[in-house]
Amino acid sequence: MTQTTEPVVSADQTEKLSTAPEPVVGMPGRGPLRIALRMWRQLTSMRTALLLLALLALAAIPGTVIPQRGLDPVKVDNFLARHPHLGPLMDHLSLFDVFAAPWFAAIYLLLFISLVGCLVPRIRLHAAALRRRPPNAPRHLLRMPASTQWRADAPPEEVAGRTRELLRRAHWRADVRPESGGSLTVAAEKGYLRETGNLVFHIALVVLLVGIALSGLYGYKGTVLVTQGGGFANAREAYDVFAPSRLFSDSQLSPFSFTMQRFNASYDSSNGEPLNFNAYLRYKTSPTAAAKPYDIRVNHPLDVDGAKVFLVGHGYSLLIKVTNKAGQTVYDQATPFLPDDSNFSSHGVVKVPVLGNGQLGLTGFFYPTAGASPFGGITSIFPAAQRPVLSLAAWSGNLGLDSGVPQSVYSLPVANLKNIGVTQLSPGHSWHLKDGATVTFLGVQQWATFQVAHEPGKRTVLVGAVLIIAGLLGSLRVRRRRFWLRAVPAAADDPDRRTVVTAAGLARSDAEGFADELEELASQLGRRTAAQRQSRPASGAEGI
Amino acid sequence: MSPDLHLAHISDVLLTWAVFAYAFAMFGYAAEFAAGRRVAARGGGTAVVERGSRRTDNVGRAAVVLSVAGWCFHLSSVLTRGFAVHRVPWGNMYEFSCMVTLVAVSIFLLLLGQQPIRRVAAIATRRPARHHMGWKARESVRYLGAFVMAPVVLYLGLAGTVLYAAPGPLVPALNSYWIKIHVVAAITATGAFMVSGVVTILYLLKERYERGQVPLRLTLTTRLRSPMRPQRVSLGPGTAAAVEMTSARGGLMRALPAAANLDRLAYRIITFAFPIWTFAIIAGAIWAEQAWSRYWGWDPKETWSFITWLGYAAYLHARATAGWRGRRAATLSLIAFGCLMVDYYVVNTVITGLHSYAGVS
Repeated sequence: MTQTTEPVVSADQTEKLSTAPEPVVGMPGRGPLRIALRMWRQLTSMRTALLLLALLALAAIPGTVIPQRGLDPVKVDNFLARHPHLGPLMDHLSLFDVFAAPWFAAIYLLLFISLVGCLVPRIRLHAAALRRRPPNAPRHLLRMPASTQWRADAPPEEVAGRTRELLRRAHWRADVRPESGGSLTVAAEKGYLRETGNLVFHIALVVLLVGIALSGLYGYKGTVLVTQGGGFANAREAYDVFAPSRLFSDSQLSPFSFTMQRFNASYDSSNGEPLNFNAYLRYKTSPTAAAKPYDIRVNHPLDVDGAKVFLVGHGYSLLIKVTNKAGQTVYDQATPFLPDDSNFSSHGVVKVPVLGNGQLGLTGFFYPTAGASPFGGITSIFPAAQRPVLSLAAWSGNLGLDSGVPQSVYSLPVANLKNIGVTQLSPGHSWHLKDGATVTFLGVQQWATFQVAHEPGKRTVLVGAVLIIAGLLGSLRVRRRRFWLRAVPAAADDPDRRTVVTAAGLARSDAEGFADELEELASQLGRRTAAQRQSRPASGAEGI
Repeated sequence: MSPDLHLAHISDVLLTWAVFAYAFAMFGYAAEFAAGRRVAARGGGTAVVERGSRRTDNVGRAAVVLSVAGWCFHLSSVLTRGFAVHRVPWGNMYEFSCMVTLVAVSIFLLLLGQQPIRRVAAIATRRPARHHMGWKARESVRYLGAFVMAPVVLYLGLAGTVLYAAPGPLVPALNSYWIKIHVVAAITATGAFMVSGVVTILYLLKERYERGQVPLRLTLTTRLRSPMRPQRVSLGPGTAAAVEMTSARGGLMRALPAAANLDRLAYRIITFAFPIWTFAIIAGAIWAEQAWSRYWGWDPKETWSFITWLGYAAYLHARATAGWRGRRAATLSLIAFGCLMVDYYVVNTVITGLHSYAGVS
C-alpha cells in the first residue's frame, strides 16, 4: 500500500446530508443581537421546520371538520344558530375561516421564513461544492463500505487513464492524481443533481407562495346568470355577484362579451343522472372584434384574455306574460327559477309593478317533469323538461317595489299581501284572474350561471408546481456517490509485473442500487485493463 | 352506452377468485414465515442460521404462485370491469380500492421478482458473469408476503361488500382526460404508500426487538463485515452459543431482516411514491381549475391530501435530522399513512365535499 497524507473518510459521513450547514460555534455580538441570532438559528433549524410542518398539518384539520364559510356558508349559519354560545366564540377564533385565519397564516409564514433562512446558506455551500474537485482517495480503500482489488497487465498510467475516460463518459467528475511511490489515484464524484434538486424543490415552494399571493392581491371573481338568448359583457355592474381582491381596479376587466345561443343538458333516461351540459356561446374579445363560437361545458371553460369563464350551474327560465284588463302587456320576460333538488323542482317569483289598482305578485313552483310526490302532492321526477307544469299563486297588494329598498328577485314576502287564487299551468295555457288580468305560461327556456375568474398568479403557481416535481425527482431519485481507484506499480518481487488495482465506492445518500453500479464499473474496468481477477468478496454495500 | 352486465358479473367473479387466491397465499407466506426459514443472506449483514426445511420453502413457493395467479385474476377483473362500463375502471370507491390493491400487489411482486428478472436479463444480454466483486446480492422480500396480503385481502373484502357500486357511467364532473392522469397517480402513490406502511410497521417491531439484542448483533456483523480477512469470519464457539441463544428467543422477530434493511426498503418505496403523490395533488389542482374554476379551494379531500403530503414531507426531513431518524421518523410515516386512510375512507364517506364520487349510499 502506498502512503497518502489525506484523511480517511469515515463511514458515518455516508448518512450526512451533503451540504447541510454546519452549526457555527462562537456567536458574535452580545445582548439582544446575540439573542436574536440564537432565535434565528433556532428558527432555521431542521427541528423547527419539522415542528412547523406538523403544526401546519394539525392546524388544517379543523378546516375539514368544522363547517367553513368558503365552502358552505349555509352550514356555518346553521351551526351558529344551533350553538348560540359556542358559535360566536369559535367565530372569534376564525374557526369558520381556518385557511384565512391569522394563526394559520402565522404558521405557514414562519415555515417559509425558516425555509428561506435554511436555503440561503445551503445555496452558497452547494455553489462552492459544484466548483470543487472530488476529494482525494482515502488511504485504506479496502476499508470502504464497498471495495475490490485486482491485478492488471497494464501499467498504472494506462489503468488510471482508462478509468478516467470511462468515468467521464458516464458523466462522473473524475481527476487523476499522482501519489508518492509512482502510484496513481482516480477520484470521482457524481450526483450533484441531488442537492440541486433539493434546492430547486424548496425554491419552487417559495415561487408557489408568490403566485398564490399575486392572485390573492390582484385577481377577481364574479358570477352571472344568463338565460338562453341573453348575453353578458364583462363589467362590474353586469355581475350578479362580484368579488374583487384587495388591489383590484376596474381597468383589469378585459372587455369581452358573449351571448348564449343555446343550452343543452342531457340525462341518463333510466335514473336521471346527468350526462352532459353544454352552453353554446358566441363571444367577442372586444366590442369591435368578430364573434367566435365556443361551447362551454364541465371541464371545458372558455379562456379569454386571461379570464376564464366556467359553467357552474343551470336551471329553467319560464316565459311568462301578464296582460291587464285592457289587454295591454305589463310583463313579458324570461323569469329564472332556482332549482331546489336534483330533478330541478324550482321556485321563482314574478313581480308586476303596475296593474290597475295596486301591484301583482306571483309565486310559483316549477316541475320540469311533473309526477306524484311520495309525500303527496306534485313533484318533479326527471330533470329534463318532458312534462312541464307551473304551479302559481297570485297575490295582490303593495309589493314594496317603489320603496327603494333592494329586493331579491327570487323571493316575495307575502305576509302583507292578499291571495287572489292558485292554479297549475302547462306551456301555452293562460290563467284569467278575477280582476281581469291574464297570466300566460308561454314556454320554458334554460339558463346557465357562469363564473368568471381572473387569477394573475396562476402561471407562477404552475411554474412553481412543475419545479416542485422536477426538484423532488432530483432530490429523491439521484444519489450522490464517490468512487476511488488506486493503481500501484508492481512490487519488485512480482514475477508477472502486474499493477495492483484497488477500487472503492461510497454512497453519500442512500445506497440503493449503488452496489450494482459499482460492480458494473469494476467489471468494465477489469476488461479494459486486462485484469487477472483475484476474487475476494467485498461486502457492506447492502441493498434489499 | 349502458353497461354490459354480463361482463360486469364476470369481473365480480374474477375479483372473488383473486381474493381467495390472495388469502391462501397469505396463509402460505405466514406458514413459511412462522417456520422461521429465511433465505440465508449471501455474504449478508446479519447472521442468520438457516432453520426450516425444503418443505416450508415449497410452501413459500406455492404462496408466490398463488399470488401471481391472484394478480392475474385481479388484473382481469379490473379490465373486464372497464370494458363492461365502457370507461376507465376507477370511477368510484369500489373500483378505486381494486386499483390500489392491484398496485400494492404489483409492487410486492416486482420487489419479489427483482432478482429473478435480473438473472434472466443477464443471461439474455450475455453479460459476463459477475464473478469478481462479491458485492452482496439483494435479499428476497418473501418475508413481506403475509404482511402485504393481509391488508390487501382486507381492502378488497371491504371493497366487495361495503363499498361495492353497481356498474354505471361516470358523473359529468369526472368526464375528463384528467381522470386518467390525476386518479392514476393517486392510485399508484396510495398503493405504494400501503406497501411502505407495512414495511414500516415491521421495521418498528424489529427495531424494538433489536434494541434488546444490541451486543450480539454488533459482534456478528463486525465479524462478517471484514471479509477481506476470511480467517476471522469463522464463528468462534462463544458466538455459536450466542446464536443458539438468540434463536431460542424472539422467534418470529428473528425471521425478519435487519431493521436497517427494513428502514431502507420503506424509505425507498416512499421516495418512489412521494413525487407521484405530489404530482397527483398538482394534477388534481389543474383539473379543479378547469372543472370548478379554482385550483385550490380547501375542499376536505384537498386538505387531507395536503395533510398527508405534509406528513410524508415531515418523514423525509426527519430521516435527515439527527435525533429523529429511525424510530421517530418511522412513526411520522405511519401517521402520514393514517392521514391517507382518513383522506380515503373518512373524507369519502363521512365528510361531504366536492369529491363525493364514492358511489356508496
